[in-house]
Amino acid sequence: MTRYVVHRVGGMILVLFLVCLFTYMVFFLLSPDPAVQICGKNCTPERIDQIRENLGLDQPFLTQFLGFLGGLFTGREYGGGTSIIECPAPCLGYSFQTSQIVTDMLVQRLPVTAVVAIGAAVLWLTAGVIGGLVSAVREGRFADRFIAALTLGGMSIPNYVLALGLQYVFVVQLQWLPFPQAVPFADDPGQWFANFILPWTVLAIGYASSYTRLTRANVIDTLGENFVRTAKAKGLQPSLVWRRHALRPALTPVVTIAGMDFAGLLGGALITETVFGINGVGKLAADSITKNDQPVIMAVTLLAAFFVVVGNMVVDLLYSAIDPRVRAGAS
Amino acid sequence: MSLLTVRGLTVAFRAINHDVPVVAGLDFDLPRSGALGIVGESGSGKSMTSLAIMGLLPAGATRTGSIVFDGTELTALPERRMRAIRGDRIAMIFQDPLSSLNPYYTVGTQIAEAYRAHRSGVSRKTARKVAIEAMERVHIRDAARRVDDYPHQFSGGMRQRVMIAMALSTEPELIIADEPTTALDVTVQAQILELLAEVRRDTGAALILITHDLAVVSEVADHLLVMRRGEVVESGTAAQVFSDPRHAYTRALLDAVPRIDDTIGELRST
Repeated sequence: MTRYVVHRVGGMILVLFLVCLFTYMVFFLLSPDPAVQICGKNCTPERIDQIRENLGLDQPFLTQFLGFLGGLFTGREYGGGTSIIECPAPCLGYSFQTSQIVTDMLVQRLPVTAVVAIGAAVLWLTAGVIGGLVSAVREGRFADRFIAALTLGGMSIPNYVLALGLQYVFVVQLQWLPFPQAVPFADDPGQWFANFILPWTVLAIGYASSYTRLTRANVIDTLGENFVRTAKAKGLQPSLVWRRHALRPALTPVVTIAGMDFAGLLGGALITETVFGINGVGKLAADSITKNDQPVIMAVTLLAAFFVVVGNMVVDLLYSAIDPRVRAGAS
Repeated sequence: MSLLTVRGLTVAFRAINHDVPVVAGLDFDLPRSGALGIVGESGSGKSMTSLAIMGLLPAGATRTGSIVFDGTELTALPERRMRAIRGDRIAMIFQDPLSSLNPYYTVGTQIAEAYRAHRSGVSRKTARKVAIEAMERVHIRDAARRVDDYPHQFSGGMRQRVMIAMALSTEPELIIADEPTTALDVTVQAQILELLAEVRRDTGAALILITHDLAVVSEVADHLLVMRRGEVVESGTAAQVFSDPRHAYTRALLDAVPRIDDTIGELRST
């Protein structure tokens, strides 16, 4: 088991390094010169050169990349002469457009995104598993078909349509929910919670739909397994047959995929956060893309990749704890 | 009185507008401690017969006729009371021991589970002890340690031993073994058959052995039922059937068993 963990962590570090390298490369090669942007309208070539030198953009790619990597672990300094900016580790860069350290921007936004992701995950797991179970038990009957139609709708409708539609119906027309305005939890927990209801729902509907289908398929498959027949032949109570012999094997994959999806969401729900004006990582990404604030875009990309890779590993380790066959294969 | 009396047992699957019988009017008697072999090719209805006795027919199958087990009519029994018999007084061993064991639980848990389902108020510790004893009885070496192993850590033959231990743990009066050796290789087959015979001797449980393999029944069963297309084409004591087969199909089956002094011929048609 220890060897397995070491192996997995090693693999994860390699993947993260490669993600860093490729992301940096893409932004280095493809994006417009940030010096020109910073310089503004009344710009002289000398001024641009000056900025490039200050930002270290005159250095070759490898030097810049190593500087970035170094900043991640030991922190670094930006600028030169009189205007030196300290960027402590883990330094993800400095946004010259907002004059902020990127790491601080992310740290500020991350809790909000986490709230969005956790709430949505709770909703979609509950709805998906219950929906899937009902479908499986009532296979081929009305309830199953009805749920199938709902999930088809849920998977097909784009998030932005759903977000705007729900907002129009529940906030503008019915006025069941207050118009979203940012309030800290401590000031007004009711309003704070109300703000999140729609974003959670919007995010959860798509996931819940696919989880319903996944759960349904897994449960039906598992019920056809020989070991379920064995459990029945032992004379076990139906509730025990279900709980021990059908649900555990059927839901294990659902839980692991949920881990991955959740990790993916921590990287920011771009559309939903933007539509509902939630100041999370997703909105930060959207704003930075419109402003072409490269260090921020890159940092958000890396953060998302980081969560996916870490989430992937956590899920793998969890899986090996849940499924004895995986455990044996690894040791 | 016999332990199990089956009369006119018919199992049918519902097709679009008519029923398709897979077992048609089966009759047989099984005395206490008797051993009955049901032989037949794939689709002859032998497995459906065993599932009908257990009350575990798949959805869409219907069962008519009479199955009397120790004076109780099973076909009229409510599911709750059938569940009390299932796994306790009638136990079943299936064909593929790997897929018949749940990969998520240790074999000990799965054996103990059968025992605890039928003995109220049994502690985990007692059930575990019963599981270890059952494993020892089917000659799994180092049972006290292996009780905590998972099915995938056992070989095919050992897994089938686990299945047999599971069936034994409740000391059933009837064991139904549905193709218990088909998924195993030949040397292991012989060991499992020997074990089944030993279990019968030691516990006095009656045995229904379902197989397509005549060599297998000849070793264990004292009565034989040859099935084809849902019907019994021949029945009698094993010795009778082997020495003097009445039905052409039985003769064809017997001819299909490779013998050491055989010349190679074709399957005789019926």
